[in-house]
Amino acid sequence: MAYPYSHPSEVRILSKYFGDPEARTLKGWEARGGYQGLRKALGMERGDVVNEVKTSGLRGRGGAGFPTGVKWSFMPKDSGKPHFLLCNADESEPGTFKDRELMRWTPHQLIEGCLIGAYAIQASHAYIYIRGEFFEPAQILARAIEEAYAAGYAGKDVIGSGVTLDITLHLGAGAYICGEETGLMNSLEGRRGEPRVKPPFPAVSGAFAKPTTINNVETLCTVPHILTNGGAWYRQWGTEKSTGTKLFCVSGHIARPGNYEMPLGFNFKEFLYDVCGGIPNDRKLKAVIPGGSSVPIMAADEIDVPMDYEGFVAAGTMLGAGSVIVMDETTDIIRQVGRMVDFYSHESCGQCTPCREGTTWASKIYRRIRAGFGTEDDLQTLLDISDNMTGKTICVLSDSCAAPIVSSIQKFRDEYLAVVERSEPVVAEIA
Amino acid sequence: MADETKNPETVTVTIDGVQIEVPKGTTILDAAARVGVDVLHYCYHEGLSAPAQCRMCLVEVEKAPKLMPACVTTVADGNVILTQSEKALKSREGTLEFYLVNHPLDCPVCDQSGECKLQDYVSEEGRAMGRLREPKRVFGRDDFGGDVLYEGDRCIMCTRCVRFMREVAQDERLSIVSRGSRNVIDTFFDEGLGGNIWADNVIDICPVGALVSKDFLHKARAWDLDRVPSVCPNCSQGCNITLQTRDNEVMRLKPRPNEEVNSFWMCDYGRLNYSWINRKGRIEAPLVREGGRMVPMSWSDTLLRLAEAAKVASGGVRAVVSPFLSNEDLGAARRLVDALGGGEGVYRSAKGEEVVLPGFPALALREDRAANVKGAELFGFTRTGDGAGKGGLEVAGAHGGVLVVVGDDLEDAPADFGAGAGLFVYVGHVLSPAARNAHFVLPATTFAEMEGTFTNVNYRVQRFWPALQVPGMARPTWQVLGVLLAGLLGGAVPATPEQAFEGLAELRAEFSGIRYADLGAHGRPLPQLGQLAEAAGD
Amino acid sequence: MSVNDKNPGFAGDTGEFPNLTEADIRGTAYVGTRPLDGGHASVAGTMPYQLATRGPAEGPIFTGPYEERLAKVISRYPDRQAALLPALHIAHEVRGYVSPEAMEEVAERLQLPPAYVRGVTTFYTMYNLQPLGKYLIQVCTNISCNLCGGEDVLHAFLEATGTEMGEVSADGLYTVIEVECLGACGFPTAVQINERYFENVKPADVPTILEQLR
Repeated sequence: MAYPYSHPSEVRILSKYFGDPEARTLKGWEARGGYQGLRKALGMERGDVVNEVKTSGLRGRGGAGFPTGVKWSFMPKDSGKPHFLLCNADESEPGTFKDRELMRWTPHQLIEGCLIGAYAIQASHAYIYIRGEFFEPAQILARAIEEAYAAGYAGKDVIGSGVTLDITLHLGAGAYICGEETGLMNSLEGRRGEPRVKPPFPAVSGAFAKPTTINNVETLCTVPHILTNGGAWYRQWGTEKSTGTKLFCVSGHIARPGNYEMPLGFNFKEFLYDVCGGIPNDRKLKAVIPGGSSVPIMAADEIDVPMDYEGFVAAGTMLGAGSVIVMDETTDIIRQVGRMVDFYSHESCGQCTPCREGTTWASKIYRRIRAGFGTEDDLQTLLDISDNMTGKTICVLSDSCAAPIVSSIQKFRDEYLAVVERSEPVVAEIA
Repeated sequence: MADETKNPETVTVTIDGVQIEVPKGTTILDAAARVGVDVLHYCYHEGLSAPAQCRMCLVEVEKAPKLMPACVTTVADGNVILTQSEKALKSREGTLEFYLVNHPLDCPVCDQSGECKLQDYVSEEGRAMGRLREPKRVFGRDDFGGDVLYEGDRCIMCTRCVRFMREVAQDERLSIVSRGSRNVIDTFFDEGLGGNIWADNVIDICPVGALVSKDFLHKARAWDLDRVPSVCPNCSQGCNITLQTRDNEVMRLKPRPNEEVNSFWMCDYGRLNYSWINRKGRIEAPLVREGGRMVPMSWSDTLLRLAEAAKVASGGVRAVVSPFLSNEDLGAARRLVDALGGGEGVYRSAKGEEVVLPGFPALALREDRAANVKGAELFGFTRTGDGAGKGGLEVAGAHGGVLVVVGDDLEDAPADFGAGAGLFVYVGHVLSPAARNAHFVLPATTFAEMEGTFTNVNYRVQRFWPALQVPGMARPTWQVLGVLLAGLLGGAVPATPEQAFEGLAELRAEFSGIRYADLGAHGRPLPQLGQLAEAAGD
Repeated sequence: MSVNDKNPGFAGDTGEFPNLTEADIRGTAYVGTRPLDGGHASVAGTMPYQLATRGPAEGPIFTGPYEERLAKVISRYPDRQAALLPALHIAHEVRGYVSPEAMEEVAERLQLPPAYVRGVTTFYTMYNLQPLGKYLIQVCTNISCNLCGGEDVLHAFLEATGTEMGEVSADGLYTVIEVECLGACGFPTAVQINERYFENVKPADVPTILEQLR
């Protein structure tokens, strides 16, 4: 079983112990094969650890899907400077709730992954940046880190290897943008969490202006298993380019919401209807967002695709963080897209003008349309605002805001038109 | 072909069709400037770090997937850069429209109007018609203390002001407060900017009317101002400035960039201390004492009479000069003292605490609160009086021989100052009670009404130009005294400021090391005597 | 009768796990009680910031165990500035909000300009800038919860506490606000009350939840 639901089609590597309170403790984790990956890694050359991860084909699970081993290999060799590993536990993409489960059920899995990652990139200190709202997972993780220090898995001379690997848990304070890697670095450094201009890239100058690698919780949780079992072992699941398994968080109008660990490449339609139990209340599917609120919406007839990085791109959207948001036929698309736009407006850091002003303007237009004062021209304005805030800014927050706007207007134009045609002329508001 | 002669330190790029070779590491923005292409920008400022956040400088670089920020992107060999492509223009038009989403468009009551980059760019490249139908956000006005007023609704969040206070003033009293479209610039609650003498620079660098000067508030429209390059007269640093005038009155002083002296900055003490330049009640005609009366006369009559009187004068000379005089004026005063038999010459200057600008330590509000203390010293005048620039006039005031006062207003002098002098010549601007004891009163121009040079604290000689009309018959001191000296000693009268400047080399050999024509708008350091000898030896 | 009827707000009865207790899910026994001085330095900066019971209401914030905790936090970073978010969390934990005086104290401790500290504080939504009710009730209305009735839950809380959004209830106990995605989308509606998450919250659960807070 895997909390809260499970299905035989799953391949449970990371999520095997969800729902098993014993797995949280150090003793419990060791009894389940924990820290074997770390022991193995510390007996290897650092470069070989990187190569093992390269072999596995593991790709970043935070959303971008960049190959993890390749990312690690960007770190300079013998730079003479301290290196840092950052773990991005700022999970806040709407629809995403996998990292929280990983941390609250299997904290040692993440700690082990961080220690291996830090060793591989020549870092002696790893920071886990966990979003501030996650007090409860943070308390569990804190307890686990204390256990790891007490047992000699962290700190000086890790399990007799002579290697120093420190871990610090760092709490965020409420800002979606700190999930962006350079925003996270600024936040960690005690600044406003505003993303940085790249270059310089983190591997050259990241946290505290030192070479830095940043990985998502799920990515790092996968690493111990790859080290324990070998990179080739991990490739037995998934496709050539999207190897292994991935947690998919399913929410919204779905019979059995929760996290499912699926081999990449599984059919999306089968996943929704078979694995997740389909749409409750005998309703029909209207739309689904496959990778968190930042990716384009799919219409009901577009879902017969493989669940992997390439499959979703071919379908005009993205795998993202694997956050599947399901909307049934009763869903008011304009209301939900408007709510997402409100979110991006609220979370824009405000540095770049197209994002600061564009997200807010779009949010106001959605409110006006919903209040019954929309016009057909507004659709063109929304599309143009979206274009003007796509690819124009330091980070991709405003691109993310544009994705649901553009895809929903393309795919549900009739719904928009029905609303604006019922609308009063704007002068009525004044009269 | 080009590859054979390739310089490894340079790259060749094409910007809007013009090919140029620039050093490696040059930004697109700088490279474009070299071929005369002005890339629009708000957040970028040469004197500050570049956050690349205003997104106005996005340009198309062929083969790059996205538009690139010109302010931080360095050029790569073979780059083909298009600042006017359809994509670049569309991006700027879109971004400008975003800038106006919450902007109040209150240009008619905004002091920045006419020199506002938002106004300029929108009129150049913005949409003809706005599409906004939503209510605008309203922040209102915030008094930042000192001279600075913040109009939050006009703010475009370029953060130049925040970066100036952090990086240059190194007194981080401004911050962005809140997040996203609720962002405002603010100080720490009521702390304000008061007490930091560099604060007004944030007004200068604000590209829009968000930060405005209380002193200048609603005083003049930018397009009504005449702008003349000058040098700040209020301390010996010699910040390069523009004197901005309307209807023959100085409205404000603004810094003029000079990397050797003041970078882009100046202090508030110097900036706001200009009312004396506008002083009314000036002497407008030469006055000659006849019995108990001061009689206005023509220049020729006055100077003829003065020359006659000077020829028979005796008892040695005592002189009081002003450190606000130009080098040429001071040189002429020195010549006059020498021509009349020699004697002691003094100047008075107010002093205050030196305040260094941490981010550009070559700039400081200097102890001496007058522009040409070094010039006065070079021409043999010595300091007298107290730290307020007062007193110290006892010896001169009681002198029985020839008394020459040039430029010093004598406002604090006792009423009997110079009453016992055999000949009292007063060259200056206003008729204080002590000046009324003079036998000859010669109206002179201030630095703002004439052309000339100052020597700053680091012996840099810098030019200024006339910005105000000459009051009545007033003339530059060097000219007045030059005619008088010709009458006393024979010889030529310098006809131009340049000739007056060239004559200075006869008094101080250092001045032979620089030519007036080479001073330009940014001045030249005065060579030291040792350097001159070295150069001669070569 | 499912667990939820007695003790709504944690996902104990979800899915295939009818027998997990609230303690099992929250890890209560495992976590135990974290000491006020923060415990091991590696995790000293991660105490819950929003507690119903608070530190001293007056005087300096960073004294006794709080001072010890701050020193541990500072020791974990290359510079003092990096301790800013944790330091603000401590101030919030002690006072329940971050006042201008608290910002000044933090600024002084970390040798930062107060204006800078204000700029950082106001960037993050979890630092409340004025006193709140004893219980800060944050209801997610972002997309996944919204699809499943998040706004109804929000209104139920507002109605049950008799407050408008963001205001403190007359008895000083409650402040209800809308919040962006809490990362518990599979258990809609997600509600955060002080440091604790309440999941699968339905409007009907609201009175019981409020009753149990007291």
